[in-house]
Amino acid sequence: MKNIIVYGADWCPDCHRSRKFLDENNILYTYLDIDSDKSIKAEMLSLTDNKNIIPTIVLSNGQILQEPSNQVLAQALNDFKSVEPDNEVIDLVIIGAGPASLTTAIYTTRENIKTIIFEKAVIGGLAAVTDLIDNYPGFEDGISGLDLADKLEKQAKRFGAQIEFNTVQKIKLLSNNDKKIYTENGIYIARAVLIATGTDYKKINVLGEKEYLSRGVHYCATCDGAFYKDKEIAVVGGGNSAVQETIFLTKFATKIHLLVRSKIKASQVLQKKLQSFIDSGQVVVHLQTNIVSILGDNQLVNKILIKQDNIEEELPVDGVFIFVGLKPNSEFLNDSSIELDQLKFIKTNDNLLTSMNGVFAAGDIRSGSTMQIASAVGEGATAALRIRQYLEEI
Amino acid sequence: MVKNVTVFTTNQCAYCHMVKKYLDNKNIKYDEVNLDNQPNRRQEAISLSGGMTVPVTLVTQHDDSRHVVVGFNLSSLVPLLA
Ligand SMILES: Cc1cc2nc3c(=O)[nH]c(=O)nc-3n(C[C@H](O)[C@H](O)[C@H](O)COP(=O)(O)OP(=O)(O)OC[C@H]3O[C@@H](n4cnc5c(N)ncnc54)[C@H](O)[C@@H]3O)c2cc1C
Repeated sequence: MKNIIVYGADWCPDCHRSRKFLDENNILYTYLDIDSDKSIKAEMLSLTDNKNIIPTIVLSNGQILQEPSNQVLAQALNDFKSVEPDNEVIDLVIIGAGPASLTTAIYTTRENIKTIIFEKAVIGGLAAVTDLIDNYPGFEDGISGLDLADKLEKQAKRFGAQIEFNTVQKIKLLSNNDKKIYTENGIYIARAVLIATGTDYKKINVLGEKEYLSRGVHYCATCDGAFYKDKEIAVVGGGNSAVQETIFLTKFATKIHLLVRSKIKASQVLQKKLQSFIDSGQVVVHLQTNIVSILGDNQLVNKILIKQDNIEEELPVDGVFIFVGLKPNSEFLNDSSIELDQLKFIKTNDNLLTSMNGVFAAGDIRSGSTMQIASAVGEGATAALRIRQYLEEI
Repeated sequence: MVKNVTVFTTNQCAYCHMVKKYLDNKNIKYDEVNLDNQPNRRQEAISLSGGMTVPVTLVTQHDDSRHVVVGFNLSSLVPLLA
């Protein structure tokens, strides 16, 4: 079953009425404001034969309701309830399908622990989005992120892991120690849970960043780099990701301005690789430099404003790739009793157990993790063994 | 009813890979336009999506209406393929 989507706008009273009705009935849904983004409005119009009707509500079975009364909505939701997953208790639910998760699944499914993985985006996680992984043992020439992700997925599936596209929204501990997992596709009950949701790219919150998303502002070089063949671009950041992605983008862009807030903090190996592009003039490093705003012609980015030593300067570029660090994917735990650290990573004990009984965490999302694939995989294996022990003891 | 599906991709884009894998699993036939191999078709992808990003999936229905999904976005894609 899929998520319920409500297309609406803040000024629309019927949208408020429908949302209130869904809220009061504890029905989870995704709200899309048609005024927030042209593409959302276009998406809504494509569902309504180009008629401007809100709320437009797309139900889990694909049924589309336009401006439904509460009664019509209630009737449709009755159908919704009748197809909700029967609450069979699953041994283990894993949230996220990155390297940590897939490793745990290889172990647990080999031992006949029924395991379901929920993934909201890409199987393989951040590792799949990385062009080349050079330091993961066993691949002497390195391996592309996509290939590693593919291999991990196949290996986990060989032993029976089930992967479903689904976003987890909330976890609650029940009085019998089972865990209730609220997802876009309904509610599931599990004996044990592993949170392996990793991290996502941080935004920089400057003028133009949101407005020009995908029209000159990007967070994924392997996805969008090809659009900048023979163009001039900027990369923001000075850590491993920024430098690695700059090197990748040299395949396309003729000139790359690397904007670093303080100094380059990437590993020596990456810095050495970068140096050859600096020497050839393809990469220009701007140290102690902040990006102030991203500007364009309303359609596409055409320049940025940067600031160095309190002097502002315009730099003509066709695009900006932003890699200024990673933020933990833990928003869905905000009102749960699972304890997070100051930076919102999940706290665990030596057994990778969180503050909620039977809920474990592994990989980049865990407070104190070393943010590497090899360690995510190691933590995945450790978590599997601890989870097996937990399931045997309850 | 779906008449035609076209996916604009690049070689190393994981989200493109996911769209293709999804369509393959559902036995839905599609044409792939790989922009690394066919850079001259970049403008086509930009015009369809309004952005410089892949994957872009164009679904043409039997009544010739065209729908565009940007990214690996099952909540938009699945209803179009139903
Ligand atoms: C540019 C770059 C280059 C890198 N290069 C290297 C390298 O060369 N070597 C190396 O060892 N490491 C590298 N890393 C780090 C490596 O990618 C991570 O350490 C690793 O992917 C962590 O694995 P994980 O399983 O913990 O999480 P992730 O890989 O981040 O996977 C987490 C998954 O959880 C999903 N998810 C999140 N929230 C939810 C939710 N609510 N519901 C459902 N699913 C959810 C996400 O979509 C994601 O797929 C690199 C990282 C980046 C960004």
